[in-house]
Amino acid sequence: MARWELAELRGRLVEITSAAAGAPLSVAIDLVAKAQRGGETVAWIAARPSNFFPPDAAASGVDLAALVVVRVRGAQVAARAADKLLRSDGFGLVILDLEPATQAELSTALQARLLALAQKHAAGVVFLLEKRGDAPSLGSLVSLRVEARRRRTTEGRFVCDLFALKDKRQASGWTHGEAFDGPAGVR
Amino acid sequence: MDRLACVDLPSLSLQLLLARHPEWAELPAAVVAEDRPQALVLRVNEAARAAQVFPGQRYAAALSLAPELRAGVVPPHDIEATVAALTIRLQRFSPRVEPAADGFGATDPDVFWLDASGLERLHGSLAHWAESLHVDLGSAGFIARIAVGFTRFGTYATAKAQARAGVILFGDPAEEDAAARAAPLDRLPIDPAMGAALRKLCIRTVGDLVRLPARGLLERFGPEAHLLHRLAAGDLCPPLAAHPMEETFEDEILLDFAESDATRLLFLAKRLLDPLLARLAARGEGVAELRLRRTLERGRGPREDSIRPAAPTLDALLLLDLLRLRLEGAALPAPVAALHLAVRGAPIPHDQLRVFAEERPRRDPHAADRALARLRAELGDGAVVRARLLDGHLPETQFAWEVLEQCAVPRPSGADGAGASRFLVRRICDAPHPLPPRPRHEPDGWLVRGIAHGPVLRLIGPYVLRGGWWAGEEVHREYHFAETQRGELLWIFYDRARRRWFLHGRVE
Repeated sequence: MARWELAELRGRLVEITSAAAGAPLSVAIDLVAKAQRGGETVAWIAARPSNFFPPDAAASGVDLAALVVVRVRGAQVAARAADKLLRSDGFGLVILDLEPATQAELSTALQARLLALAQKHAAGVVFLLEKRGDAPSLGSLVSLRVEARRRRTTEGRFVCDLFALKDKRQASGWTHGEAFDGPAGVR
Repeated sequence: MDRLACVDLPSLSLQLLLARHPEWAELPAAVVAEDRPQALVLRVNEAARAAQVFPGQRYAAALSLAPELRAGVVPPHDIEATVAALTIRLQRFSPRVEPAADGFGATDPDVFWLDASGLERLHGSLAHWAESLHVDLGSAGFIARIAVGFTRFGTYATAKAQARAGVILFGDPAEEDAAARAAPLDRLPIDPAMGAALRKLCIRTVGDLVRLPARGLLERFGPEAHLLHRLAAGDLCPPLAAHPMEETFEDEILLDFAESDATRLLFLAKRLLDPLLARLAARGEGVAELRLRRTLERGRGPREDSIRPAAPTLDALLLLDLLRLRLEGAALPAPVAALHLAVRGAPIPHDQLRVFAEERPRRDPHAADRALARLRAELGDGAVVRARLLDGHLPETQFAWEVLEQCAVPRPSGADGAGASRFLVRRICDAPHPLPPRPRHEPDGWLVRGIAHGPVLRLIGPYVLRGGWWAGEEVHREYHFAETQRGELLWIFYDRARRRWFLHGRVE
């Protein structure tokens, strides 16, 4: 069963975490491309002083013209922006790229509102957080928490593994791997 | 070289009439438009021609010329059904068959084109293939004239010109062209008035017609003559528009224990039906016909049933209800040992396909735009953006963020995920961060981001980017990917002008 498809993430709060040798951004961008291929409108809420490199996202199949990017500062502002987007029922996937230091701003009440909206409008809400797998989760309302790991296979080729740290819909501990090419120049 | 075959079933409607009335074969016979005295005679056989009965005459007039004339009406839907059935039959000989119901600007249901390319490998030779085709049509009760050649008009004209049923095979295009030019015009279904006018001018064959100037033909005789000239001269060669092959989807289940209970049989049929519906939905079709075959135990003959819904549908409940009615109908003499289900598809309206599409909610694009407007009002215009790729040299000049007013329908590259390319994506800093200098000794003990991140183990590069010298602002950067002990893949560069290392991002 395809566990890492938008259909599996609808109506859930999902957390993608990673340590240093991780691939959360690549996995999230791949999810964006999949959602767009399924005809869904996607919003990316960037709450960090850095962002995905658009040429790499385009190479991975993302339609940049249709990807809404909301630039904010702070997890709380990001969550309120996500609230507005989800409430409109115009988006099937909302990704929040958060600074780890601001994670605490996401109160349970905020998460509960986002979860209710995600369930009501059958949308997926994904948080990108840079932290190790043994660090605490955002909260109990997160239905799926995965750690994105990256490993090199051959020269210039990698596999990104998603390891399910928590999955409320089925037994956690599953892994899902997909092959990626490195960006130009990576051997 | 492509090979083409033209199959002409002369006066198909007359053949259908005579098949219905075989006792008329030796008598003058005609197809009339309607069963009334003033109806037009459409087709006649040779015996009627011999009695001076020709198409275009009134039925009453024809009867006065040939009192023993037999005539009948062949409804258009009978001809259409025959053409459809013949198309399927001919698809056994070639995967690409075009019925010429709309051929050459005139309705000509007598003609079919078959793509004969490569078939000699299956049948030994094209002659053998054509003969097999001729024999098969004969066994179905049709008189056929078949021409195998290289061009549509060439095979068409020569097939029409054949005096008798049979096969003619051309070895090279020149031979076909010569035979086509020799074909009499009165063998082709052209307007009788035009034909008469051309005969007065001694234009009797296709070759005579081709020698006339096309423009003059258009001015004097109109577009039909001009079209015929273009086709005959080879100026117009429409490609074969093959009729799509009907595919039947089927599946079978062999039962471990024979079953006579209708409800249990219905559940078994549902197991067969669901995947077949999904396959049809993938083609944009619904079930036009269900064929159920129940193989009975103890060697009794199979029971076959055909079920047709009122319209092609993907409604599983409706189809199962029809199946239930059939299964609960007459009792069978023995239990069922095997169930075979076949479905024939037909195009259905698009909204029916939603049943089998992924359960995806409808999104309101206007509501999404309103949400973006609210965000712009709260956060400022520059907060809601989208990326636009540019033709820049440096990474930060390869894209720009532009204000987004309205959501766009996504048009991602790659039709499905299976073949889509995946690349690791870099995270780019808003501005490059200065890094500590790299120690002179090699290999690296270079702590790029402090002790916590560990030293750089490997540097991949350099990839030099230079530019701006023409504007007096030279940029010289040597990009590297730095693998640290922690496994990070940092995207860094050495700025020659500033003699400093910078962190531009990392691969995530």
